[in-house]
Amino acid sequence: MANGATVGVIANPASSRDIRRIVARGPATTTNDKINSLARLMEGLAATGVKNVLSMSDAGGIAAGLAGIAAKASAMHWPNLDFVDQKITHSPDDTINAAKAMQDAGVDAIVVLGGDGTNRLLIGSTGSIPVASISTGTNNAYPRRDEPTVVGFAAGLLATGHIDSAACTYRAKTLTINAGDISLPALVDIAVVTGDRIASGAVWDADSLQEVFLCFAEPDAVGLSSIGGRLQPVSRRNPHGLRIRTDATSPRRVTVPIAPGLVRDLGITAVTALPPGETVAINADSGVISVDGERSLRFTADTPVTVTLQHDGPVVLDVPRAMHEAALPTTTTKGEDTHG
Amino acid sequence: MGELDRLAMYQQMVRIRQYESRIMQEYHADKSPAWDIGAGLIPGEMHLAAGQEPAAVGVCAHLKKGDAITAPHRPHHFALAHRVDMNKMTAEIYGRTTGLCKGKGGHMHLFDPENHFSCSGIIAQGLPVACGQAMAFQRKGTDHVAVAVTGEGAANQGAFHESLNLAAVWNLPVIFVIEDNDWAISVPKDASTAGASNADRAAGYGMPGVRVEDNDVEAVYEAAGAAIDRARAGDGPSLIEIHTLRLFGHFEGDAQAYRPELETVNERDPIPQYAAALQELGVLSEDQIASIQADADAEVDAAIEFAKSSPEPAPEDALLHVFA
Ligand SMILES: Cc1ncc(C[n+]2csc(CCOP(=O)(O)OP(=O)(O)O)c2C)c(N)n1
Ligand SMILES: [Mg+2]
Repeated sequence: MANGATVGVIANPASSRDIRRIVARGPATTTNDKINSLARLMEGLAATGVKNVLSMSDAGGIAAGLAGIAAKASAMHWPNLDFVDQKITHSPDDTINAAKAMQDAGVDAIVVLGGDGTNRLLIGSTGSIPVASISTGTNNAYPRRDEPTVVGFAAGLLATGHIDSAACTYRAKTLTINAGDISLPALVDIAVVTGDRIASGAVWDADSLQEVFLCFAEPDAVGLSSIGGRLQPVSRRNPHGLRIRTDATSPRRVTVPIAPGLVRDLGITAVTALPPGETVAINADSGVISVDGERSLRFTADTPVTVTLQHDGPVVLDVPRAMHEAALPTTTTKGEDTHG
Repeated sequence: MGELDRLAMYQQMVRIRQYESRIMQEYHADKSPAWDIGAGLIPGEMHLAAGQEPAAVGVCAHLKKGDAITAPHRPHHFALAHRVDMNKMTAEIYGRTTGLCKGKGGHMHLFDPENHFSCSGIIAQGLPVACGQAMAFQRKGTDHVAVAVTGEGAANQGAFHESLNLAAVWNLPVIFVIEDNDWAISVPKDASTAGASNADRAAGYGMPGVRVEDNDVEAVYEAAGAAIDRARAGDGPSLIEIHTLRLFGHFEGDAQAYRPELETVNERDPIPQYAAALQELGVLSEDQIASIQADADAEVDAAIEFAKSSPEPAPEDALLHVFA
């Protein structure tokens, strides 16, 4: 394996530009920042002896920018860079199709550059291939903020067989919402909000929140999962998830960053563990469902809506653990629980 | 942000589409020879905005009387959505004395002081003007805003960058709206623009930049509403880039031989898509679709009739009301 290691790279050109730039001081990650992150990733991959990189194609300038740098003399030591031969649809399908092509090509690891939304698209498309994530989106709970060069090291060490996959990977949890014949998965949160608007995607209006289901809840998160993080933290590897009911008038209050720079005070009525494999019905009988912070589906009383937590998400490469595995024996402190 | 009125937005999009479609017919009806843009009842070039209705309708739904818009060479959709009188605008396009500029401006030069609407054939020229209007609103202490509309091609002009800079420095109540229809005449965006999104460029000037990826009127409505509320509140400029669709040619008579995605254009038409979404939501019936279309047909026919039956300027008036 060590000689022909291939790493797939997926970068979403559309991430980090939605309405949260205006309503929530969301940070901007420019296309050039994304290209730069990938160039840093390539340095890490090169350092570990990865021979080939298979990158997603896009019409948003990322693939073109990366190819431009790869052609320069200063990048001669990079792995050989190929692009997935795919039809660009300007839709989430581009990401899914790229992941499937990488699975067909038998890549040893995949690195994803994007936010919660981009990672969510990979549910069901990466099989047993370990996936490392680099955060670029707006409201990220799922991808950690690891430096791309280091992610390149971690993914490269795994792809080349220098570290043991079992020691530094785990299956992500998923939540699935079922409404009639529609079924949508999430990696972090599913929320039930009032109203019937789905157009602009993002959820930023705290008063519209009714109920939140979480795969995990970290106290240092931003976004909807921070609500659980404040009330009852749940780690990524804990078998359970969390279910929270909100009501603006409840005396039990919690103050959380529901988006970057957007701090809201919420009324809480119930916090309960969500056991894996159990299908639970939501409380409301009409409104909108958001998956990983994006309003995605309207529902009415005609359709029963249920939520299920499962351990069937992508195989996550835990970058800090991978780097601990690889650390020289004199300096390592193995076994620290990096994801809580 | 005001109440979302889906039916009104649908109606406005249909009205604009009917206008552009009929102007297209009328423009070609008597162009003989076909290559002579001076021939026929509608003289000069013609840039139609069919397919770009969501941009105009989603933005203008938040504007009130006294707010300003500067539009580019493809102005009809923003003019109609900003309440410019359809009769006077059509008469202007036909070069008649009853037109907004007494027939001396034509389709790229529609000036309506009453509604603070203007446009220009010089691309990106409206951006500094919008900054000026915004500065006036700011100095008068009103909560009015100025909206500067431009194409993605024009966003490579110096005036674009100068305007973003000035608007940020002076915290002006201006909203830069970029209609990215993938093409600047026959030049694709990636051949002319460093950086794939103008939302990124906004970041460089320290103002929020949003890209609305789908040509979806409600997504435009939400983004524009947030930007306009922000400007009215004194929080300064924003930029919204809307990925939209040029359903017709760059100008009337453009064979579009350069356009590889031409065959998928009709299936990307935003109006049938919105109609279907509204039907699914139960707010639009087949009967309403028919009556909204019939109303639009009648209004547009009447405006064209008004224009055609209006007098042409007299030769001796040629030097009146012109500067330069
Ligand atoms: C200053 C200036 N330079 C060149 C032209 C010629 N011209 C007219 S339209 C156009 C392309 C505009 O493209 P874009 O801004 O994308 O607007 P679109 O036509 O796509 O709506 C050009 C170059 C002009 N009108 N003004
Ligand atoms: Mg254009």
